Amino acid sequence: MSTSITLPNMLISKLYNVAGFTNEASDYSRKLHKMGFTPGTEVTLAPVKMSDPLIVQIRGGRVALRKKEAQQVLVKEI
Amino acid sequence: MHTLERIAIAGVPNSGKTTLFNRLTGARQKVGNWPGVTVEKKEGFFALRDSQVELVDLPGTYDLSPDTEDQKVAERVISSGEYDLILNVVDATNLSRNLYLTMDLKERTNQIIVLLNMLDVAEAEGIDIKAEQLSEDLGLPVVPIVAVDKKSVKKAITRIELLALDLPPHDSHATKAEVLDTVQKYAYIDQLYKRTVSERKNRNLNWTNRVDNIVMNKFLAIPFFLVSMFVTFWFAIGLGSVFIDFFDIIGGLLFVDIPGAMLNAIGAPEWLKVMIAGGIGAGAQTVATFVPVVFFMFLALATLEDLGYMARVGVVADRFMRKIGLPGSAFIPMIVGFGCTVPAVMAARTLKTRRDRFMTIFMAPFMSCGARLPVYALFCAALFGAYSGLAVFLIYLTGLFMAIFTGYILKNTLFKGTPSHFVMDLPLYHRPQIGAVFKSAWFRMKNFVRKAGVIVVAAVFVLSVLNSVGVENGKVSFGNEDSQSSILAYAGKKIAPVFKPMGISEENWPASVALFTGLFAKEAIVGTVNSLYATMDMTKQETPVTAGEGAGGVDVEGAITEAFASVGEGLAGIVGSFDVLGLGLIAEDQAIISEEIGAETAVLQHIAAHFTIFSAFAYLLFVLMYFPCLAVIGAARQEMGGYYAGVMAVYSTLLAWSVATLFYQIVEGHSLFYTLLSFTVLGMIYGGLHYISKKERKEIAPVFAPPIRTSCCE
Repeated sequence: MSTSITLPNMLISKLYNVAGFTNEASDYSRKLHKMGFTPGTEVTLAPVKMSDPLIVQIRGGRVALRKKEAQQVLVKEI
Repeated sequence: MHTLERIAIAGVPNSGKTTLFNRLTGARQKVGNWPGVTVEKKEGFFALRDSQVELVDLPGTYDLSPDTEDQKVAERVISSGEYDLILNVVDATNLSRNLYLTMDLKERTNQIIVLLNMLDVAEAEGIDIKAEQLSEDLGLPVVPIVAVDKKSVKKAITRIELLALDLPPHDSHATKAEVLDTVQKYAYIDQLYKRTVSERKNRNLNWTNRVDNIVMNKFLAIPFFLVSMFVTFWFAIGLGSVFIDFFDIIGGLLFVDIPGAMLNAIGAPEWLKVMIAGGIGAGAQTVATFVPVVFFMFLALATLEDLGYMARVGVVADRFMRKIGLPGSAFIPMIVGFGCTVPAVMAARTLKTRRDRFMTIFMAPFMSCGARLPVYALFCAALFGAYSGLAVFLIYLTGLFMAIFTGYILKNTLFKGTPSHFVMDLPLYHRPQIGAVFKSAWFRMKNFVRKAGVIVVAAVFVLSVLNSVGVENGKVSFGNEDSQSSILAYAGKKIAPVFKPMGISEENWPASVALFTGLFAKEAIVGTVNSLYATMDMTKQETPVTAGEGAGGVDVEGAITEAFASVGEGLAGIVGSFDVLGLGLIAEDQAIISEEIGAETAVLQHIAAHFTIFSAFAYLLFVLMYFPCLAVIGAARQEMGGYYAGVMAVYSTLLAWSVATLFYQIVEGHSLFYTLLSFTVLGMIYGGLHYISKKERKEIAPVFAPPIRTSCCE
């Protein structure tokens, strides 16, 4: 099993899978779960040149997340 | 046999459900609130083969957990089985997120028909969906539809009618045993997705990507945002103000002059004329003048929203809004506030939590609106000369600063609690639907006129009666408008000492009376100052101005001609100028300004004589911040209830007083007592808010945090 990194550390143009959350019981994780950030879901960073908020592509849609809050999301490179 | 009498449309935001709703109901719809909450309820009717169907547009939600008011309402309606059928509009370009709601719906009712919308767009993007397979996997009928296309909707309706015959009766308990948690639901959707959807390797998102690269680029985001706001304002304020005079004149004719003349004709007593024509009529006229700007502002905003750009504004603004504990999306209503605070207050509706909504409404009035500008212009013309531009700029800046200050204060007192996260869905850009955008603006405006209108009419009524009634030598008389003898003028003189600490002497009582009329609408200050300073020059006038014209002397034709001419003039003016905030007004010379804002040159001399530069600036600071006009309080009451609207009125007025006083005393007054007093008031504001929040928390005692768990339903 490769080690997971936090979502803001993703590189543009690489593919990742959602691995989980630093705190699975938080409101934030609950919210993102419902938006489709479930384990194994493919996620990429949109090639938008803005550092914060981040634009994330997931399940065919695009979601903006604050860098700091997104530290709670863990991803694994495919 | 399944009869269809009531149908509800459910779907995620931007799925096209409102487009479908508009397409089906046409003009036959009404906007209200769901009982007990401020969530908008849109209802309408449409004809099936042989029956009339009541249609309701449920709030757009991604799921049905009780996290927001919108979701609670949708959940309640669906579970109750009040509706014979739920039409679930699903966006084919974002299928898996949309199907999550479908899964939630399925757990609560079995009377669902899925409408697969935007299949054409999905195909162009390289997504191919097998509708029959989807229907089989979901266990629900699926009907492809293009909501923007009339023919497609018609065809779909015929199929829906047939399919509805085979639906089982409503039963929200049948599937309770099979309730899944979030992860399981998505796992199910993922499997289903694999079977029903074939996606081209590189999904063609390029168009949205390319636009986003520009509008959200690190360096271009802010300039692009400023340009788009500029265009929005130019459109809403510019085009809106073209029609202000039109509505003012026509409103005056319909609500004031004609009723006045009619009352004259039947020989009604003066007091009745004052109440009907001068009170209620003038109130209705005030509401009428708001209509154009409010409408065009809603129109511009609905366009940006439909286009998909509003969500991006929220993202760009988040970088600074997070500092006061608000999500970036709270910035949108505040921008609107530069135009008119009323639609700004109403735009706060789009925010998710109560705390975010209320905080934004409290902050919005500090964004200096268009109605305050004529007041600045008048005083600048009289006193500031070449520095006018700078003075006005400083006032706008102070407003922005006070909004942020208010945010900080409220964050620590009245609206404590965890700031919400910022998670924002970015829809694909698409061409705005002109019809839908117009309709949305129209209904929002109608709603505003109905709700805020009542308050405004009532308040204008009271104030204009006070402005007209005079008590002299124990005799009550009417027709004392804007003269020294009305009760309002009397009250103004009495209250003048309150404004002394900010540099307004008691001989300068017209300035304090003007603050009363400013309660109606801030631009009314100009008119009052104008007429009161003029009366100071004259020996007491013998012929009072009456509410209506002389008997039968209403020039209907003349007024209508004038009304239409004003539109032409306004249009001619707007074409050449991109002067959105009207700042050009400030730079022009005295004579032109006084002509444009309808003031007399003699009045400018009066202002110059009664104010110093500093006391004038203090006065303008007060005008900027004190009691937002009655229309705003009306709108705030509608959104937050009377209690918080009252708190807001008191808060802004006290803050205005202490800031204006502090400024004046530091730069000119140098009175230690008043300086300390203003600090004391500032402290009292803070303490008061703190006290209210404590009391509130006790009363509304335990507000339960949402239970911590990963599953979503019982």
